[in-house]
Amino acid sequence: MIQKKVCMLGSFSVGKTSLVRRFVDSIFDDKYHTTIGVKVDKKIVKTNGEDVTLVLWDIHGEDVYQKMRMSYLRGMSGYLLVADGTRRQTLEDALSLNERVVQEFGKIPSFLLLNKCDLRDQWEIEPSQESKLIGAGWNVFQTSAKTGDAVEKVFLQLAQAALDK
Amino acid sequence: MAEQAQRRAPMAQAQEKSTDNNHAYEELRHLIVAPEQEELAAIEERLDNLEKRTVDVSEVVAEAIHMRRATGDQALANALAPTIQETLRESVRRDPHVLADALFPVMGPAIRKSITETLRSMLESFNEALDNSFSTRGIQWRIEAMRTGKSFSEIVLMHSLLYRVEQVFLIHRESGLVLNHIVAPTVATQDPDMIAGMLSAIQQFVRDSFHAKNDETLGSLNVGELQVWLEESPNAVLAAVVRGHAPADFRQAMNEALEDIQRHFSSALANFKGDAGPFRAADERLSKLLETRYRESPTDKKKPRTALIVGGIALALFLGWLGYVSYLSWEWSRFLGALQKQPGVVVVSYARDGRTFHIQGFRDPLSADPKALVSQAGLDPERADMQLAPYYSLDDAIVAKRAEELLHPPPTVKLAANHGELRAEGSASQQWITKLEERAPWIAGVTKVDDSHLLNSNLQQLYTLKSSIESIVLLFPLGSADLEAGQEGKLTEVETRIRELQTQSEGFHQTVTIDLIGHSDTTGIEGTNLVLSQQRAEQIRRFLLKNGIKRDGLRPSGVGTTQPLRDEASEEGRQLNRSVTFKVSFASNTNATVESPTTSTSTRPGN
Repeated sequence: MIQKKVCMLGSFSVGKTSLVRRFVDSIFDDKYHTTIGVKVDKKIVKTNGEDVTLVLWDIHGEDVYQKMRMSYLRGMSGYLLVADGTRRQTLEDALSLNERVVQEFGKIPSFLLLNKCDLRDQWEIEPSQESKLIGAGWNVFQTSAKTGDAVEKVFLQLAQAALDK
Repeated sequence: MAEQAQRRAPMAQAQEKSTDNNHAYEELRHLIVAPEQEELAAIEERLDNLEKRTVDVSEVVAEAIHMRRATGDQALANALAPTIQETLRESVRRDPHVLADALFPVMGPAIRKSITETLRSMLESFNEALDNSFSTRGIQWRIEAMRTGKSFSEIVLMHSLLYRVEQVFLIHRESGLVLNHIVAPTVATQDPDMIAGMLSAIQQFVRDSFHAKNDETLGSLNVGELQVWLEESPNAVLAAVVRGHAPADFRQAMNEALEDIQRHFSSALANFKGDAGPFRAADERLSKLLETRYRESPTDKKKPRTALIVGGIALALFLGWLGYVSYLSWEWSRFLGALQKQPGVVVVSYARDGRTFHIQGFRDPLSADPKALVSQAGLDPERADMQLAPYYSLDDAIVAKRAEELLHPPPTVKLAANHGELRAEGSASQQWITKLEERAPWIAGVTKVDDSHLLNSNLQQLYTLKSSIESIVLLFPLGSADLEAGQEGKLTEVETRIRELQTQSEGFHQTVTIDLIGHSDTTGIEGTNLVLSQQRAEQIRRFLLKNGIKRDGLRPSGVGTTQPLRDEASEEGRQLNRSVTFKVSFASNTNATVESPTTSTSTRPGN
């Protein structure tokens, strides 16, 4: 069976762990748990009739106190860059993080997730900006770990992209 | 088909309207469509014919199912499942044997295997339970299990397991993805993919956090009884989950395995894209690392050692006891030998009864105390039961002893017996000698008395008196039978001694004869001298008799000049010859003659 290492990247509290839990265990928990270091999870998905084991590295969110360790990303086949749609700053942080990743590892299949799309009323990212990102070549998805919107699809597509690479 | 049917309907109407015209038309039509019509009829017939249709389907059914399955669609299985289930159920209902027979080759081995496995594990746990339950160690472990709240089996494992390699992971170093994973039987595991991921995350975390150099890697993780040993090669990480304490050479084994894998799979490792398939080939290599070492069971090693020690001690004790017993027997027989040689003791029989020695025989009351002899031999007197009846022994030593008991000899006398003859040596008083002579023959065992070597101490005194008397020379003046002046003292001394001699000699049954010998010097006529000498002797006799000396035994005589005491070359010599001297002799009243052992009898005054 093919295995693929996939990383969850993004600022703290954008919902990386929640997305993984929703994807792997179909559970959402409102309580916030800071991830310390890394949490590794896995899920077997089927793309093109082929089973793929996704090993998900849920890496701790980056903030002023802890920089993300690039070494955790080694050997990954794809990553999800997660931003919190209700916090504009997290998108900027995600993009700058992405630059560092690309610099270190080159171009690797990746999607940009604007998470927490269930909180529409607090949304801070304008559609125009989203279009700009798409224009820059990003696959942008609005996701919600709470409702499960687009979560499964995003992981499946990333698995596909990782396989095709 | 419907189209053909529609086409056919107008043709039939035309035939009815004009048969003539139609005839030609019919002919034409026949010419044109007849073959098709025949074909159609054939098809029609085939479709209507169930049998033919079945034949048709049967030709393609297998291929159809095969094709449908190839699409990966579950529909076929879903469609067939109820029917198959129903079929099986129906088959079993009708005749269970058919299905049973069909399944037998499969079920038989499966059931056998299952039963064997169950029995084996039951036996193992039963053995283990037996091993551990009844030993002191087992009880200790049970107490520990109660105390710590762990299950007994955990405690047993904890104590009896030296180490066990439970899992081995081969991990792609860069991505942390599992290349291979081997688990020991009966070990419960978590998802290896996640563990491998976390392990490499931890490795990276440690390396980053402590700024380790590239070749410095995390070697092991310890979690209670569990250890994770890690070894890295350029492309792979080998992780072994060990319970207990593996020896250092296990790391060597890990290293060798990893090097081996790195060499064999170098290109597969370098080009790893997530397909772990090729690494299945490393199964065998990794399985070798799964090893379990138990503490050497005490039943394997300790038991023989304990048995050996116990046996050794028992043997030593037995040999010691044997040695002790034979030593005791030897000691006792030695003692018996000594006892039998003991004068006055006769051993008639002897037997040992457990710890006690029974000795029966006779013993003279004067023989040595046998209990004391037991003690002297270094044996326990308590263990000697001696039944020795009293008797009179005729043994020489005992006879002598008995004589001593009865005769109370003075310290100067030594008694010895020799074949019934009692021999007395030394000196004793006349009274004791008399007692000896009277009593000795009555003593048991004495047949004869030999007192020839016994001195009469009283007799000795007589001889002393005799010599002191004989040493006295009473002097006379020239030509006179009267004592010279100044000789009175000597005369008194002679008188005293003689009286003493006479008194003492009475007790010895001795007759004492005292010769009073008168001497004269050569001056004057020989005849005169002889008379003078006789007168001198007579003179002294008279004096003695006058002073109460018994007359018997006093024998005065004159020798004149015939027995001069000295030569008469000097006046002094002549003076000595004008004298009276004494000679004392004893004669026994009985026939026995008592002779003086000493030379004192021959002492003569002068020369």
